[in-house]
Amino acid sequence: MDYFHELHKRTAVRREVQRLRPAMYRVACGWCHDPSLADDLVQEAVEKALRNAGQARDPERLQGWLYSILANCLRDHYRAVHVHEDVDALGESLEDGGAGPEELCSRGQTGRQVRRAVSRLPLGQRQVLILVDLEECSYAEVGEALRIPLGTVMSRLCRARATLRAALAAGLLAERTTRLRSVK
Amino acid sequence: MSDHENISGEMLNAFVDGELDAGEWESLAQRIEADPLLGGEVAALRIAKDRVRNAYAGLPAPAAAPRGRARPGRWAAAAAVFAAAGWFAHAWLFAVPELDPASAYVLANAPASIDSGHVLVHVSTGGQEALGRALDEVEDLLRAARREGRALEVEIVANRSGIDLLEARGAPVAKRIAALRARYANLSLVACGQTLRRLAAGGRKVDLLPGTRVAPSALDEVVDRLRSGWVYVRV
Repeated sequence: MDYFHELHKRTAVRREVQRLRPAMYRVACGWCHDPSLADDLVQEAVEKALRNAGQARDPERLQGWLYSILANCLRDHYRAVHVHEDVDALGESLEDGGAGPEELCSRGQTGRQVRRAVSRLPLGQRQVLILVDLEECSYAEVGEALRIPLGTVMSRLCRARATLRAALAAGLLAERTTRLRSVK
Repeated sequence: MSDHENISGEMLNAFVDGELDAGEWESLAQRIEADPLLGGEVAALRIAKDRVRNAYAGLPAPAAAPRGRARPGRWAAAAAVFAAAGWFAHAWLFAVPELDPASAYVLANAPASIDSGHVLVHVSTGGQEALGRALDEVEDLLRAARREGRALEVEIVANRSGIDLLEARGAPVAKRIAALRARYANLSLVACGQTLRRLAAGGRKVDLLPGTRVAPSALDEVVDRLRSGWVYVRV
C-alpha cells in the first residue's frame, strides 16, 4: 500500500517538475543572468527534485520547494567557484562585463538597462525581486522558498526597488544628456 | 519615502504587490489618493515592477536537447561564460520601435512581442489626462502597424474608474475611442464584469460602447492574455 502511494507521489512530482521547468529557467536567468549557467542550474535542480521526490510535502504545490532547491544549487555553484558567499553582499562581483556605459545610453535599451541594474543588486535582493515581479509569488511563498523571514523579504524587496529606481533614473538622465549632445 | 507620514517603504511595496489585507489596503488607498506625493511613490513602484517583468519577457528558451549527467569541471566553464555574459551583450531586444521611452516604457521593452502582434492595454484609472494618454499610445501603435503593413491586435481592458473610457455617453474620450474603433477593426474593447456589477450594486448602470465585450473580471482577462503571450501595458 505504502509502496503504491510512494509511486503515485513520485509520478505526480515528475509531472509537476516538468510543467514548472520553464518557470524555473526564467527564475534562474533572473538570478544569475547567464542562460547557460541557468540551464545547468535547472538541470541540477530537477535531478535533485526527482531524486528527493519523497520529501515533497504536496506534489500539487511544488513551486516553492523547487525554487528553494534552485536557490541551493545557485549557492553551491557560487561556493564552488569561490565567489563571495554572503548573499547580502554578493552583487558587485557578479555584474556583467558586456555592455559599456555608451552602449547603455543608446536609445530604446530600457530592457537591457533594467536587467543590468537587476544584475548589480545583491543576490539576496535579486532573488526576492525576481520571485515577486516575474513569478508573482506572494511574500510568504518567497520567504518559504528562500528560507527567510517575512520581514527580510519585505526589506530586501524595498531596497531592491529603491536601488533599481535610482539606477534607472540615472540611466535615463545619461541617455538624455547624450542625446542632447548629439543634437548640438 | 520611509518617513513620509509614517508609511514605510515596505508598506508601499506591499500595497503595490497586493500583499495587504482588505482593511489595510483600503486605509492606505485613501491616504494615497489624498496625497500626491504618496501617489507618485506608488506609481514609481508600479513602473519599476512592470519594468522588471517586461525586461525578462522575451527570455531565450532553455536548451532543448537533454544534457548529460553533471561533470565535475562544468561549473568552471559556466563561470567563464558568466563573465562574458553573452546573453546580456547580444541584442535580444533589437528592432526596438521608435517610441517615446517616457510614455511607452512598457512597449519599448517588449518589441519581440509587439512584432508578434498582440497588445493588451489595461486602463484602471479615470481622469481625462490618463485616458487621453492611453488613447494616444493606442492610436500610435495602430497607425504604425497599418503604415508598415504589420498584423496587430490591440485590446483595451478597462476596470475601476477606467471604465469611463467605455461608457457610450461618456466624456470626449468615449467619442474618440468610438471613432478609433470605426477606423481600426483590429481594436477591441473589454469591460471588467466585476466593476460593472459593483457599479450596478451602487445604482449606476453603465451603458457601454457598442461592441464592447464584458469579461468576468479585468484580472481574468489580463491573466488569460498574458498566458497567450500578449504584451501587457498598464496605463
